[in-house]
Amino acid sequence: MRKLLEFLNRPASRGNFFSRSINAAPLQIIVCLLITGVVVVAAINEYATNKYLNVGYTPDQPVAFDHSFHAGPDSVLGLDCRYCHNFVEKSGHSNVPSSNTCWNCHSQIKTDSPALALIKRSVETGEAVRWVKVHKLPDFVYFNHSVHVNRGVSCVECHGRIDQQAVVGQQKSLNMSFCLDCHRNPELVLRPLDKITDLSYKTAKPEDQVEQGTKFVHDWKVNPPQSCSGCHR
Amino acid sequence: MKRYLTFLAVAVLAMISFLGFQGKTSKDTPVYVFDDMDVQSKYKPQGENAFFADGRDARPPVAGTVARGNALEPLKVFSADYRRLESLNPSFVTGKDAKGAFLATFPAKSMNLLPNGEFKPYVVDAQTLELGQAKFEIYCKICHGAAADGNGVMKVRSAVEGDAAILTIANLQAPNYRAYPQGQIFDVITNGKNTMQSYGDKLSPEERWAVVAYLRALQLSQSCPAELVPASVKAELK
Repeated sequence: MRKLLEFLNRPASRGNFFSRSINAAPLQIIVCLLITGVVVVAAINEYATNKYLNVGYTPDQPVAFDHSFHAGPDSVLGLDCRYCHNFVEKSGHSNVPSSNTCWNCHSQIKTDSPALALIKRSVETGEAVRWVKVHKLPDFVYFNHSVHVNRGVSCVECHGRIDQQAVVGQQKSLNMSFCLDCHRNPELVLRPLDKITDLSYKTAKPEDQVEQGTKFVHDWKVNPPQSCSGCHR
Repeated sequence: MKRYLTFLAVAVLAMISFLGFQGKTSKDTPVYVFDDMDVQSKYKPQGENAFFADGRDARPPVAGTVARGNALEPLKVFSADYRRLESLNPSFVTGKDAKGAFLATFPAKSMNLLPNGEFKPYVVDAQTLELGQAKFEIYCKICHGAAADGNGVMKVRSAVEGDAAILTIANLQAPNYRAYPQGQIFDVITNGKNTMQSYGDKLSPEERWAVVAYLRALQLSQSCPAELVPASVKAELK
């Protein structure tokens, strides 16, 4: 026994290839791998999702239309969303307004403003205004606007406070878990149909929302699909 | 190990300073990490298309063709005795009678069919007025005002902006507009008048008739004969 201990604790011979500190290496490697793993997972969680990649996308538009001036009850003009996006209640696609819609008013007001030159040209020649699409869903997702706004889901749930944005940017992640959060608990967001475009609407007390939403889910027979084919075809 | 952890910390700091955090705004088109089928080569509503001269996915209908997908049955559509519903009830979509004069009243027949193939009679009820109110407040209020007296926000803005004030915004409470036949109001909504542009593309014929009905209600509300006011409301007013 004494001989074995003497053997283990013998001084390293000069010819030993590995130094004694190598005995700690396995532990150090494990710790480093763990820390690296945590960092990589955190980085993917932060950067490789729509919350980083898509949220905040605020492109310049060919015509600098200011929603915060035109749209919403608190804005200067107080236009309803549907004055311009007029097919949102009838069509799966919520339309970007035709240039005539701008010209309903701007044929009389600020007609020759340089900011409106592209719209004017479009009205006169029929040329398209190349608006830049902000809220993009993958092409295998079939989102229907009309079915949502006709069942008490407000614009604000997916688009955020557009009525406060001078330049429109994406505010919600619009990834699949974002959709499913609502599809699983619709009572948390449903609101009266006449408040759909009132983006600042809240129930008087926050706890009323669940009660109101549960009533709407029952009355309107709201049954949001959670199967793949509900949204993917 | 110390050296590796220092390297890792520097790498993390560099990444954060380069990429920032979630929620920062950017003008760059989003990056798709896994872009499988995210962007498919298909035509989408209001999409851009390099193939056509006007650059649009959406094509105007070819003259003399019938659009698919309007719940029309092809066998019926292409049979000799097929008539479009609109052609059987033209007053409802033009606001004019057979001689081309404006309808003095609401159209007799709606566009909805009874089981026997006849049109349902058109009735103005509370539902019609609610629809009319909803549409009036979206499309008409901005110029004509919530009470149809011509004091919408457009009048205010044109004064603020220093443009020529819009003198042509109609005060729909004025006697001459009250005297308009129903069909003429319908026609103005459909085709526009003076500086007012057409709203025929925004409002369906049903919605336009509902707006006419709601406008009549507004006109009545501003000059309501005393005998029509319910007793409960009278008590409140006094």
